[in-house]
Amino acid sequence: MGNLLMISIIVGLVGAFFVLGPDQAWTTLLMNPLINSLLLLTNLVGGQFGIAIILFTVLLRFVTIPFTLRQLQSTRAMQEIQPRMQEIQKKHKDPKRRQEETMKLYRESGVNPLGCFMPMAIQMLMFLALWRALSKVVGGSPESLVGLSQRIYSWSFLSDSIPLEQSFLWLNLGESDSTFILPLMVGVSTYVQTRLSATPAATAQQHQQQQMMTWMMPLVMVWITLSLPSGVGVYWVTSTVFQVFASFAVYGKSMSWRTLLPMPAPAATGPKKPPPKMQRDVQEEAEADTEAETTTDTTTEAPPRAREVRSRHGKRRGKRKKRR
Amino acid sequence: MLAIALLAAAGCAGFSNPEGWAGPAVTDDLLLASTDQGELSALNAEDFSRLWTFPTGQEDPELDLKAIYTTPLVSEGIVYFGAYTGEVFALNLEDGSEKWRFDTDDNIIAGLEALFSDGSTETIFVSTDDGIVYALDAETGLPRANFFDAGDSIWATPLLSEGVLYVAAVNGKLFALDAETFDPVWEEPFKAGQGLISDPVLAGGTILVGGIDRELHAVDAASGDELWSFPAGNWFWGRPLVVDGTVYAPSLDNRIYALSLETGDELWSFEAEEGIRSRPVLTDDTLVIVDRDGNVYGLDPLTGEPLPWSPKAIDKTVLSNPLVLAASVQEEMEEEEDVKEKVFISAEGGDLFRLEDPTSGDLSRLDPNTGRFVKVVTP
Repeated sequence: MGNLLMISIIVGLVGAFFVLGPDQAWTTLLMNPLINSLLLLTNLVGGQFGIAIILFTVLLRFVTIPFTLRQLQSTRAMQEIQPRMQEIQKKHKDPKRRQEETMKLYRESGVNPLGCFMPMAIQMLMFLALWRALSKVVGGSPESLVGLSQRIYSWSFLSDSIPLEQSFLWLNLGESDSTFILPLMVGVSTYVQTRLSATPAATAQQHQQQQMMTWMMPLVMVWITLSLPSGVGVYWVTSTVFQVFASFAVYGKSMSWRTLLPMPAPAATGPKKPPPKMQRDVQEEAEADTEAETTTDTTTEAPPRAREVRSRHGKRRGKRKKRR
Repeated sequence: MLAIALLAAAGCAGFSNPEGWAGPAVTDDLLLASTDQGELSALNAEDFSRLWTFPTGQEDPELDLKAIYTTPLVSEGIVYFGAYTGEVFALNLEDGSEKWRFDTDDNIIAGLEALFSDGSTETIFVSTDDGIVYALDAETGLPRANFFDAGDSIWATPLLSEGVLYVAAVNGKLFALDAETFDPVWEEPFKAGQGLISDPVLAGGTILVGGIDRELHAVDAASGDELWSFPAGNWFWGRPLVVDGTVYAPSLDNRIYALSLETGDELWSFEAEEGIRSRPVLTDDTLVIVDRDGNVYGLDPLTGEPLPWSPKAIDKTVLSNPLVLAASVQEEMEEEEDVKEKVFISAEGGDLFRLEDPTSGDLSRLDPNTGRFVKVVTP
């Protein structure tokens, strides 16, 4: 059902882009509806544009929640098979063999490696559209209002709150926050979200990249917030807080505040020059693994769940330690 | 990937910064225009060499005006203008030196209006984005003790006529005030459905003002009662032009409407490629309009039929009011005869264009380095 919905949306969007042309499709199908929805909400909440941004973000996140959940579930499944992934990285030096084993692991665990890509792409599209819509609505100059007039539907109620009330809490939504409170909130919320959505690294290189991203993302967002009107920052904080709650709903009790601490580096990252004995040992182990997996494939009707795969893996690891 | 996408989004977001839409102004021998964002320049009207620019960059502390939306007001050797940052300046026309300045503490988008008394400038009226109208002494820049609070932003240049100041505000109200005391002249201000943002214009006892409610309102100047209103497909932000009982009203719905001043009936309308914020001008029996994309049109004012050369694209955003340089003024400047009226158009970024001949549509652009107007070649 989720796949069908996603495919329908993508086919619809691609079709519209071909029929109307990219600019027209972007404006007619995404930008203008978003801009007018924002104005409608502003009028409904008594002209409070800041509250309208928060409400709009929450509503938008609710509408796209199937995609959010799908993405989180895919991330979780990927996290669960990471120990096996690390094992495969260690065992197989041949890239082709490594790829085969990885694909086999995906099949067994019922994990689609691209499972989180499409929901993320759709969310990214929505994010960019909303970002652009906010840029038009928040304005910040008389010129932007001239442009805005061209995008408002002819229903006069929509124009009731123009020009929009720009003051909200301590902020001027049309200007960047000089108190640095909002950029700080953006940075913290982005850090939390990035940490929660990170998968354990299989290699030291991946770990390094993830560490960099964990810090880079919040810093980039802080920098962006410092240079853009506060309205965008309000949207971002609301959106990331929603994402954190969604993560909690999916991960539930398995989530702890320790997740927010910097990730430890993987214990072993694939020996550069392993001793020959070890190499033989690993090769034997890999063959044994393959046999065991083939047996499992033929004797069970459905692929085992990720947790089962991990527990079997745990047992084998125990055996190996004993043998050593 | 996400970070890169975000950066790209931020870069492409196009949050618009104020750029200004001050139109050019002319004196006996000078052309005043905002040829760079946040700067006002005086050009020699004969050879268009730059005589001075304000701010000079030498001010201490450094002045950053961000943008200028007010068309300069020139009187008795002084040029007055308001900066977006909220300061009103009086500069000596001769060298651009500062005579006085007054800080309103809010953005200025609306143009200035001046009150003359015994042939000399007495008061400068300045309106701000937070809805305050100040009356400044033209000589010293000091504000009069009383000021007027419209209750909402003022984006339209107030209109002064026979001692009455008409102020249109974004709360949809049109006020008629005694220019000396700010006492209301009407019992109640005229109230439109939504914000009034076009400069009010007075013609034959009728005030014309339009706004966000997509209507052009004709209001009795004496009583404040509405005489008629004309609906369009989008906001009326451009100042209407009234000639011989016909109102030419530009709208952001891409159209210019010709209406009967008496009844408000539509005589004709012409559709441009984009919305029109600039005031239309009439020159050599040609109605010249410029849309926000910089397409210049010459129309027959009686029928609205476009002239064969229309449109000419200058490929720049145009939101300012064009200036018609009368033939007589040019003849005096250039010491020539039979000179055609020219239309000066200020575009985004301070580029200055000139419509050389409204009947042929020849356009040229000022090269700031050489001071020469170079012909614009359009396909």
